[in-house]
Amino acid sequence: MKKRILLIGGFNKARSLAQSLINRDYAVTVINKDLTNCKVLSEIERLTVILGDGSKAYVLEEANVKEMDVVIALTQHDYDNLVICELSKKRYKVSKTVALVNDAKKIDFFYKAGVDSVVCAVNAITNIIEQKTLFDGIANLLPMTEARINIAEIPISSSSKAINKRLWEISLPKEVIIACILRGEKSIVPQGDTLIQAGDILILISSNKQELTAIRELTGNR
Amino acid sequence: MKTTLISRVKQNKYSIIIGCGRLGSRIANELSANDEDVLIIDRDEEAFRKLSKSYGGLTLVGDGTDLALLKEANVKKASTVILTTDNDNINILISQMLKIIFNKEFIIARLYDSEKDYVYEELGIKTICPVDLSIQELNRYFKNRG
Repeated sequence: MKKRILLIGGFNKARSLAQSLINRDYAVTVINKDLTNCKVLSEIERLTVILGDGSKAYVLEEANVKEMDVVIALTQHDYDNLVICELSKKRYKVSKTVALVNDAKKIDFFYKAGVDSVVCAVNAITNIIEQKTLFDGIANLLPMTEARINIAEIPISSSSKAINKRLWEISLPKEVIIACILRGEKSIVPQGDTLIQAGDILILISSNKQELTAIRELTGNR
Repeated sequence: MKTTLISRVKQNKYSIIIGCGRLGSRIANELSANDEDVLIIDRDEEAFRKLSKSYGGLTLVGDGTDLALLKEANVKKASTVILTTDNDNINILISQMLKIIFNKEFIIARLYDSEKDYVYEELGIKTICPVDLSIQELNRYFKNRG
């Protein structure tokens, strides 16, 4: 049995997401309230397209919402996305709902209101831009739990500040730990007296956006 | 005599109305005429022209779905919040924020689409649905007609 996914609103996002989900063999339905958008969407093979306002109960019913495994609300309005997810969850008992949120301050509230997964596009994009501009070539950053915690991958070169130092000699911010050192084929769980060498890759876990300070301290880069 | 005395006691009620349309503006006018403290919020300043000349409450221009604005409006102090924007989904979002984030007790929301009242029962938010009210009233007429 194919997994069924319903996408609502968000023309461009829905289009690329639908295509990629269909390629992975999901049964995908989209709801869009614009006729022109619907026509473009209907060019995608094996995609079911429904014209209408997805925050209305009868439109969701037309899309067979009760049979859906996942409902993803992608409209540009936070309030529409909330209503879509709550209708799906509370009225039609869909087990997983995902909402796009513009206002990062509402993420917590959306979770409390019962949405299973909340994605903040603005946050995600700022994080990517920050990463590209601030650490390009220096480190790879992976935000976790809505970017409250970051996992960073930091390569140590011969010009890095931390080279040939023991861990206890480096003053890292409190919110940062070096979780692992990748050295050649080996991965080392570091101790206070572990020596950092050129070619090492440090795996850093940080909270409170302290990774930038830590990266400066380790690499010497600004 | 007793009743007048009671009604003269300054009521310490503070109501917030979000959405200054026909319904919102009339409620604001009436509460204000009853000597209650009222604050009405709308994103469009022009909307406040619907308020009567004798309206003695406050007005605030801004987006009612914005947490910062709700804080500015001092929702914590409000005894009642009434949601009368013309968008059901906005009314739903705000009323839930008031309940979940600000723990407000008395929230009333106008809802055009009664199929959307799924969350209100469990959260204890009161709703007013114009269609339901109209149908009740029509039924009354039909009954009276005999």
